Amino acid sequence: MLTDFLAALGTTLLSPWGLVLAVIGTLLGILLGAMPGVSSTMALAILLPISFGMDPHLAILFLLTVFVASVYGGSVTAILINIPGTPGSIVTQLDGYPMARSGRAGQALTYALVSSTLGGLIGLVALVLVAPMLAAAAMEFRSPEFTAVAVFGLVLLAYASPGSTIRGMMVGGLGLLCGMVGFDKLTDIPRFTFDSTALQGGIELVPLCVGLFGFAEVLKNVGAAGRSSGKSVMPAIGKVWPPMKELLSHWKTMLRGSLIGAGVGAIPAAGSAIAVAIAYAQEMRFSKRPDKFGTGVSEGVVAPESANSSSIGGTLIPMMTLGIPGDAITAVLMGSLLIHGLRPGPGLFANNPEFVSGVYSSFFLALILTLIVGLLLMRWVAWVTRIPSHILMVVIAVLCVVGSFAIRNTMDDVYIMLAFGVIGYLLNLLRLPAAPLAFGLILGPLLEENLRRSLILGRGSWEIFINSPIALTLLLMSAAAILLPLLAPWFVRLRNDLRRTYR
Amino acid sequence: MKMIKKLATAAAAVLLSGALTSQALAEFPDDTITIVVPWPAGGAYDLSARLMAENPPENLPVSMIVTNVTGAAGSNGVRHVAQSDPDGYTIGMMGTHAIAQSYMNRNATPLEDIEPLVFIGPEPASLVVSNDTGIENVKQYLEQLKKQPGSIINGNDSPGGFSYIAATMLENHFDVKLSKVPYQGYAPTASALVSGEVMSTTLPIPLLAEQHKAGKVKIIGVAAEKRHPFAPDVPTFKEQGFDFIAEDFYMLYLPKGVPEDRRAKLEEGLYKLLSDEKFQKKAAELGLVIMPRDAAGTRAYLEQRNQEVKAILEDANLIEK
Repeated sequence: MLTDFLAALGTTLLSPWGLVLAVIGTLLGILLGAMPGVSSTMALAILLPISFGMDPHLAILFLLTVFVASVYGGSVTAILINIPGTPGSIVTQLDGYPMARSGRAGQALTYALVSSTLGGLIGLVALVLVAPMLAAAAMEFRSPEFTAVAVFGLVLLAYASPGSTIRGMMVGGLGLLCGMVGFDKLTDIPRFTFDSTALQGGIELVPLCVGLFGFAEVLKNVGAAGRSSGKSVMPAIGKVWPPMKELLSHWKTMLRGSLIGAGVGAIPAAGSAIAVAIAYAQEMRFSKRPDKFGTGVSEGVVAPESANSSSIGGTLIPMMTLGIPGDAITAVLMGSLLIHGLRPGPGLFANNPEFVSGVYSSFFLALILTLIVGLLLMRWVAWVTRIPSHILMVVIAVLCVVGSFAIRNTMDDVYIMLAFGVIGYLLNLLRLPAAPLAFGLILGPLLEENLRRSLILGRGSWEIFINSPIALTLLLMSAAAILLPLLAPWFVRLRNDLRRTYR
Repeated sequence: MKMIKKLATAAAAVLLSGALTSQALAEFPDDTITIVVPWPAGGAYDLSARLMAENPPENLPVSMIVTNVTGAAGSNGVRHVAQSDPDGYTIGMMGTHAIAQSYMNRNATPLEDIEPLVFIGPEPASLVVSNDTGIENVKQYLEQLKKQPGSIINGNDSPGGFSYIAATMLENHFDVKLSKVPYQGYAPTASALVSGEVMSTTLPIPLLAEQHKAGKVKIIGVAAEKRHPFAPDVPTFKEQGFDFIAEDFYMLYLPKGVPEDRRAKLEEGLYKLLSDEKFQKKAAELGLVIMPRDAAGTRAYLEQRNQEVKAILEDANLIEK
């Protein structure tokens, strides 16, 4: 296994074309990923046609470098200007942006880059070693288990929202409602569309995020324009390297985030947005200072960043071993393999083992190149941060519009983006957190579709959730997470009562 | 003075007519042609469109690009094409979904608003069962359904999608009852079958061919005239003594009102490309069956499928208008 891997890596490094393509892929990936609205999926879809003419192993090398680099690129904008470049970076900004505002932009970027690289490596190891095992476990995920995952996610969401839990849940509920707009997932009946074609396609996650996090930021700045003295909204880059000791002290966070990322990524249809949400919430629960999350703590960047990179390895697991794409990104990757006559699935490992080790080595190279190029570009990014705010805001607004148009090539998504820009601005005025809206939009359709399908499969009986050990465990964990904080004071009182009685 | 005016008018007229004729004479096409795919990148529709864009026809020496205009079960893409300028530079791709949507969705484009161009090929459904069922062939499958109606849980699309329509065609044809469970698209349906959540599916073959070869699921019948290159060991329904055909299809179409000469040129070039043996071989590697028809043939095919799908939707009480 290792010799195959090294041989494949050697072949790539020795072929001049391979390395050049990989570097170009990395550059394009970081740039496209950093553009708000151009998700990793879009970056791959845009560049896919270029790869058609290449040899299969060069094509997959090129696409994987774009994929990996775009995941990091998405975090750059999340940290510097509070706009997630990709869905996988929606959580990074919660702490990354405050860090940048307090003059630690460089450190935040380095944290993101280093944890991305390490997370990616762990994802790669998971892909190589545990692929068959994890794939088998992921296939145990059927509708009841997905329902339980969504419930668990919603419970974590209540914790993950910064500030008061009730406020977070209110906005999360709004997100759930947004998730119901469009065609009913099971019956194809349009709902909440008010007979308008713009709403029939449903509310896409990316225009919502671009509006909520990007355009709302522009509005906020316009609103504050009279008051601020034209100061640059983009923070200075500051020191690039955080103290090595502090960086290393986060190894536990990186490991936890990576394992969650690889695990969630391996579940078909879960994707990086869910992985980062869970990783962030989990880190908050483990933290000694959960109240500081959202104000610029480094763990808040490290956890989601290691999770989104390691979920790449995770999503490749079902694609490579079963031929079932885990999300839109792997669906595009699969398309490129098919163009080259390579059909992912159990047969790929049997018929083209050299191609499989080629994928592993390309993934490895992509991670290393992203680290190198990312570090080299960081100073250049610092120059970008000195653009005055009135110009930058226009650029961001343009990118918001272009980005949301580019997803499905319709103006409808632009209108949706603008609407959520206004909503994001209003939420800010009301001091309500905006992120739960996005989580609700992700988890709502997942919950609704799988709950209803589980009940069809169980012929109307709720027993189907009790009969599945995975679903039952997840539901009990959710119940515990809700009940424990409620019961804790009651327990304390009970204990005090008992003490008083039996003293 | 008069003279000058006259001269100026004449000069303007000459210039104007010159400009007009030069525009009229410019050979169509002299700009990029866009193929609009109503589904996200990566699917079978998308692959065939990209394959065509990679190999532009000889008589259309311009670059072709593929755009994905997705959403609302494919109706957004069809509407995008139907409302685009009828200049021949925007071509759409569609299949069964557009027929179903035209009945189910008040805002979808009616079929009368599009102009069939060329038929690319069919995508036959197959009947695939999970291993736990122990079912080996179509006969056993139908026997079990006759004995216990509804005892087989079938994974398919939501009602407008092709695999739902294929499952309903099977029910109607053999007078049996399935328990139909909807999924969002082919990939989740396939993984539900592999995981054993559903007992059978009515999906196209390429998606499950590898699983079939690995012995994880069993394709028991192909609902087409001929066997499929991806699963040559699987007999058709006909070979097993059942006259049942259920196929999705790909076709290209134009908005209404494209000038006849342009339409004819597109039809000729694309039909020739699709008939090309080399192109067909490449497509077969992707699991696409190419069986081109010209515009007249496509129109007839579409009309026939339209009647079929309409009857099914009427039966299922899904017609909105």
